[in-house]
Amino acid sequence: MKWLKNLIRPEPLVLGNGKIVQPKMSIMVILVPIFIVAILFSAYIIEFDIFILLRRGYQFFVIVGRMIPPDWSYFPEVIGPLVETIMMSIFGTLLGAFLSLPLAFLSSDNIIKNKVFLWTNRMVVSLFRTLPILIFAFILKYIFGIGTFAGTLAIALFTWLIMTKMLYEIIETVDMGPFEAIESSGASRLRAFIVSIVPQILGQYISIALYNFEMNVRSAAILGYVGAGGIGLLLNEKLGWRRYDQVGLILFALLVTVYVIESISRLIRTRLS
Amino acid sequence: MSENILKMYKKRPKDWIVKWGSFLVIALLIAVSVPYVDYNGLTDYGQEIAKSIIFGIIQPDLSLLFDFSKTEAVPYLLLETACIAFLGTLVGSVLALPFAFISSRNIVPKWVATIGTFFITVVRTFPAFVYGLMFIRVTGPGPFTGALTLAVSGIGMTAKLYVETIEDLDKGIIEALDASGCNAIQKIRYGIIPQLMSNFASITIYRFEINVKNASILGLVGAGGIGYPLISAIGAFRWSDAGTLLFGLIVLVLIIEYGSGRLRRKLATGL
Amino acid sequence: MIQFKNVVKTYPGGVQALKGINLTIEQGEFVAIIGLSGAGKSTLIRSINQMHQITGGELIVDGQDVSKLSGEALRRFRRNIGMVFQSFNLVKRTTVIKNVLAARVADMPLWKSMLGIYSKSDKILALEALDKVGILEKAYVRADMLSGGQQQRVALARCLAQKPQIILADEPVASLDPLTSQQVMEDFVKVNRDLNITVIANMHHVDIATKYSKRIIGIKAGEIVFDGPSSELTNDHLTEIYGRNLQRDDFMGVE
Repeated sequence: MKWLKNLIRPEPLVLGNGKIVQPKMSIMVILVPIFIVAILFSAYIIEFDIFILLRRGYQFFVIVGRMIPPDWSYFPEVIGPLVETIMMSIFGTLLGAFLSLPLAFLSSDNIIKNKVFLWTNRMVVSLFRTLPILIFAFILKYIFGIGTFAGTLAIALFTWLIMTKMLYEIIETVDMGPFEAIESSGASRLRAFIVSIVPQILGQYISIALYNFEMNVRSAAILGYVGAGGIGLLLNEKLGWRRYDQVGLILFALLVTVYVIESISRLIRTRLS
Repeated sequence: MSENILKMYKKRPKDWIVKWGSFLVIALLIAVSVPYVDYNGLTDYGQEIAKSIIFGIIQPDLSLLFDFSKTEAVPYLLLETACIAFLGTLVGSVLALPFAFISSRNIVPKWVATIGTFFITVVRTFPAFVYGLMFIRVTGPGPFTGALTLAVSGIGMTAKLYVETIEDLDKGIIEALDASGCNAIQKIRYGIIPQLMSNFASITIYRFEINVKNASILGLVGAGGIGYPLISAIGAFRWSDAGTLLFGLIVLVLIIEYGSGRLRRKLATGL
Repeated sequence: MIQFKNVVKTYPGGVQALKGINLTIEQGEFVAIIGLSGAGKSTLIRSINQMHQITGGELIVDGQDVSKLSGEALRRFRRNIGMVFQSFNLVKRTTVIKNVLAARVADMPLWKSMLGIYSKSDKILALEALDKVGILEKAYVRADMLSGGQQQRVALARCLAQKPQIILADEPVASLDPLTSQQVMEDFVKVNRDLNITVIANMHHVDIATKYSKRIIGIKAGEIVFDGPSSELTNDHLTEIYGRNLQRDDFMGVE
């Protein structure tokens, strides 16, 4: 038991010149047991089963193996849904980005002085921001019916909320000097915001819009699964039919698309900064 | 008006090109993308659904929210979601280690790193959901599949962030240990691992935050967590239940985001 | 005692950094090496603990020719020599005490060093080293919370925890401000005087070198052009060492 006591409260060290130092308890004494318990508990909850993994795990590589080579002849049929996916992302991102500016304005603590109003805005933003885009799409499908509209709106909503948060964090760090100067010359706060703050954040605004666009193309690829348009529908269908060579082609087309879009976006973003 | 002012006026920056150019690009993008958005109006019950769900979030069903005994109630579903994310993240962060090291230009030859980076990029491209669709055909439905999915799909992003940390390594510490007579293993243990540890921990916590969100949608393919009860509630028109489940999910994500932010700040600054 | 006998260092690219150095440094001396950057100061210091392998001549430290050492023998030899760097080279995200204890690692059995289990005497030794440089109260603080001067003291304490015979300091104060530099240099002087440890330091700033070091070695293009007490160092010598008149950059601005 002595070693245990020593872990929790290490004995004081006496230096040669008589000074006494009390070492601190290592944080690991707490962290390690918590971690072990958490791992065992989680493994129990999720029904961890090493035998299934050993028996079936290789199947994953079998599936991946059967995707290669992809069925190139399938390509013409992929173009349509792929373009649809990209267009949904473009319009959704544009709409979301456009709407985020006014909401960010209403959620910045250096612009809005009414604390209640400010925190209500922020709370609504963060409440809905936490939901995954797929769940937005799934609900919107029931409201607006199956099709690209639900998907596009899901992207727009998601982009709107997340960009609002990113934007008000940027707005809160800008130089307020110009804003005060213009406001003191008699302009309204909104006008002062447009003239003095928007130019300061414009570059970052475009940059985060592009970043969100990159993310949105990836997520849009799965929206079709819940019937919200795009390539996701095909993906699910082909997986269900075990046409892994065609799945391979879809994934390959997606890979190239995402790569091209990311490269363009990154090019613009580095030139902006 | 004096001549000088007129001269300067003529020299004014031609930013109208940029302004109109950007305007045109945006107009063009809208024009091209709008035809793909087919609006067919609300469904018959669309308005009612929207109302009920928002109402359900604002006024959650407390009996569903605080029932700790049933596995269909919110607390257990959230716990399961968090457990899937926790184990998935932990295994994924370990699996990412070898990929990160073979993709770091200061550890391996450049051509090896290029291959590693290519692999990471490919893995990273696809959302966790796509992996879920594949794994469900490997290990069948259930939360175990969810954790497995997150473990594999997380390799890409985690390894990418690891690589940034590894490529930032301060070689000076290794030099100092070398000068004090340490051997190669001791240099790794005391020169490299302590430098990487806190950043790696921070990355893993961040990934956990993302994986909680991922875990909540993997239920849609049957891989456990809150996702499946959520869509079946919506599918069966039990809107207030759906609202309650969403409320629970929002609370879980907010708590984890807050905790993750605190922890990562502590790791970064030691405060 | 350190003896250079016609020591030559040629880099793989053909650059000759040391061109036949002859030099003797007794135990307990405080030596400052001055010269332009690229003159060979760093190579000279790093050849003593074989961080840079010499390519010709003999380098004898306490009776053994160090250029013949390799592997375990070289590591054992290095444990007697502490080293301090311009950039401190601390693990910034761990505590001060762990940084100092790292100096004990080379002396520990491998399995203990892997687990990071330090003996009580090692912990006391590390704390005493911190006490000697006056930052004992910072022992359990993370290194990145400390100022530059304090970080360099931690690095010095790490050296001391090695219980070295010799301390090599490669531009120890070049990235510190004048006031902090002087405080850190006082610590070096104290260590040199109280523990009779040989201190060999590269100095970028002439005034710091002459203020704290009794013996100055001036080096130019891989050759020693001055070796004597700091009191005998004249402006003519300095002009020769630097190959030009001294500029403001060559002084730190201490009286």
